[in-house]
Amino acid sequence: MSAGAATLDRRPEPVRRPPLVPSGVLGMLVFIFTEVMFFAGLISAHTIVRSQVAGQLWPPYGQPRLPVEETAFNTLALLASGVVLVLAWFAFRRDANGARIPLLLSILLGTVFVGFQGVEWVALLSEGLTMQSSTYGGFFYLIVGTHAFHAVGALGALVWAFYRLDREMLTANQLATVSAFWYFVVLVWPVLYWQVYL
Amino acid sequence: MSRGWVVALAIVLIAALPDVALACPVCFDARDENRQAFLATTAFLSLLPLGMVAGAGLWLRKRAREVDAEREERGEE
Repeated sequence: MSAGAATLDRRPEPVRRPPLVPSGVLGMLVFIFTEVMFFAGLISAHTIVRSQVAGQLWPPYGQPRLPVEETAFNTLALLASGVVLVLAWFAFRRDANGARIPLLLSILLGTVFVGFQGVEWVALLSEGLTMQSSTYGGFFYLIVGTHAFHAVGALGALVWAFYRLDREMLTANQLATVSAFWYFVVLVWPVLYWQVYL
Repeated sequence: MSRGWVVALAIVLIAALPDVALACPVCFDARDENRQAFLATTAFLSLLPLGMVAGAGLWLRKRAREVDAEREERGEE
């Protein structure tokens, strides 16, 4: 045996620490980090453009007003969805089957939010607010549409989690990963509502 | 007054001489609202990633301590 090999043999085994964060959750957190910066860019651009409008007339003259009150109610549905998902997580840790109803309720509340946003878009389009009608319309559809795109993706992930839960194949790490995505969708919305609607 | 103090005073005076250079054509506007918006969004976009990285670092440190405490309780090295 060579001297080098003998030295290697005497080296202590490295201490193996269990992973601090499951790989799926870590990957989702990195993804959320990039998405937060993406939305921050959109919000910043919106803030600058809004500040440049002459006379601070926002929405611009001739453009329809956004349904502030109705969307506030819709915001509550989305926030409730996030709270119910937290309950689903705690229920899952006690007994996986106990998470079925709260997880389903969270999906339903999220679907109500996305559905109402769709109805709102149809109404606004009929009132003349389009991507091309003004920077106001452009920013509205860009910011709210991007959020809706994320919401649909996160809802798909929740439905996938429910499917696996129904077949007793869902792991805690999988639920934590998809939940992190939904929490992002839920928590970023009040900021967007404040910036775009108010 | 020592030579060092004279040099330091001279540097301070020279530093105070130049006026604000508004070189960026989009970062300056006569309207206060627009200037405030540029300042606010610059601060927002600068501090947000730093805050997130710092938050993630603190959370990971807390998590590492929790994991180490659990391992000690179980008598693992």
